[in-house]
Amino acid sequence: MSKSLGTLFIGNRLNRLFLQLLLVTTLAHELVFGLSMPNDSGESANLTYHSTVSEVRLVFFATDEHNHAVKELQKDDFAVVDNEMVIRNFRSFTRADLIKLDVIVVMDSSESVLPQFQQEITDIQQLISQWPWRLGDKVTVLSFSGMETRLVCSGDCRSSFTTDRVHSLPSGGATPLFDAVEVATNALMQRGQPDVWRVIILFSDGDDTISKISLNEVLERILVSETQIYAVDLRSPGPPSNGTAILHKIVDDSGGRYLRIGDGAVGILISLIDDLHFAHVVTYRLPESGSDFHSIRILPTHNLKLQFRCRRGYYFRSGSADTGN
Amino acid sequence: MKRAILLIFMFCAFPGVLAAQIGIYQHGTVVRMHMGECIPAGHGFMVAFGGASNPMGPEPCPEYTLVSNQVVFVIVGKLSNSLIPLAEAIDFRFHRNELAVRVDDAKHEAKFAIKEMMVRSEWDRLQRHIEEKMRDAEDHEAEVRLR
Repeated sequence: MSKSLGTLFIGNRLNRLFLQLLLVTTLAHELVFGLSMPNDSGESANLTYHSTVSEVRLVFFATDEHNHAVKELQKDDFAVVDNEMVIRNFRSFTRADLIKLDVIVVMDSSESVLPQFQQEITDIQQLISQWPWRLGDKVTVLSFSGMETRLVCSGDCRSSFTTDRVHSLPSGGATPLFDAVEVATNALMQRGQPDVWRVIILFSDGDDTISKISLNEVLERILVSETQIYAVDLRSPGPPSNGTAILHKIVDDSGGRYLRIGDGAVGILISLIDDLHFAHVVTYRLPESGSDFHSIRILPTHNLKLQFRCRRGYYFRSGSADTGN
Repeated sequence: MKRAILLIFMFCAFPGVLAAQIGIYQHGTVVRMHMGECIPAGHGFMVAFGGASNPMGPEPCPEYTLVSNQVVFVIVGKLSNSLIPLAEAIDFRFHRNELAVRVDDAKHEAKFAIKEMMVRSEWDRLQRHIEEKMRDAEDHEAEVRLR
């Protein structure tokens, strides 16, 4: 009895081993041939294979020696220097005007800009009404002064942004500029849409007086959120100031542009639409690096007169499959 | 006589064109680039064996790793705007103690100080070693994250 039980037990173990072996072999076969070999009934096996690929997506602008946008840029006209590595093999290269926009207009309503406040509101109104929005584009407006950043309208400002709404909010007081930019970058990130072009249009004189976070912290937030910032300086032309230098630093790091309120709504709009039309998007495999931060520079491969503008770098979020805007 | 003057003019004015015609250019690829310290006058790999180079400015200078078939060069521009086109293949030649790089279709050359030189096989071995180390570090990081 015990002998027959022992034989049965051994037999069961052998059977189990055989079944396991069969299962492994079948799975391996499916893995190798699953996509390419049709089954007996002639239908292809419906298998989907997943793999995580880290990819960098970069929006950039090219100009010639006369500072005119380059319309016919080719894939082999430039190389990306990513943390010192020269990258020429790109996964994709397209025009950025195919991407949806997520725009936040951040308006300064603090004491220092009150003399230009009405002009600022008018320019923002014209900008929103004349911008060539497409289906799926979003525009939000925030206002900041005192200690707070307030929502004027969210997502649908094409229809809901009004002068009355802006005037109903408090104005005057201190300038929490960096806090306001942080609120805007957080809002863009929280929406969590990877395939949008995140843009902040910042109307301010650049003179932060009360923010809880520092300039360096907000610069880091901007890079983490992969947002492009266009700053419209509300200050009248004059000698260089700290505020102007700060606005320049913010736009340079983010790959945006510095504009002046004196350019007028039309001038500002033209500059922004130029960027919108002639921006390019390139993607490439994330290069190996010992650090989380990757500095970026784009340089020409043939014509040294070409100039390129893009954000200063990006942070690689470990475990994320996409790292760019 | 006119031809002779023209020839002399050509030799003086277009060394890059002549070099290209004679075929003395070597070919290489820039694989790394960063803005680093400029090489001060009287320093550098080749300067140790030859004459001094020009004085350098206070701004950072571009430093390139140029890989050719046999040798890998680390070269440094003299000014912050001494840029090399980052094409897949670029032409260069030795010129006194420096490396002359063709920057736009044979019309012009830019001179770069040579900071380091390494035999290609040695450089390849070093790169493989660095890659392995980085992979090990990543694997270790992933393991720590899983724990």
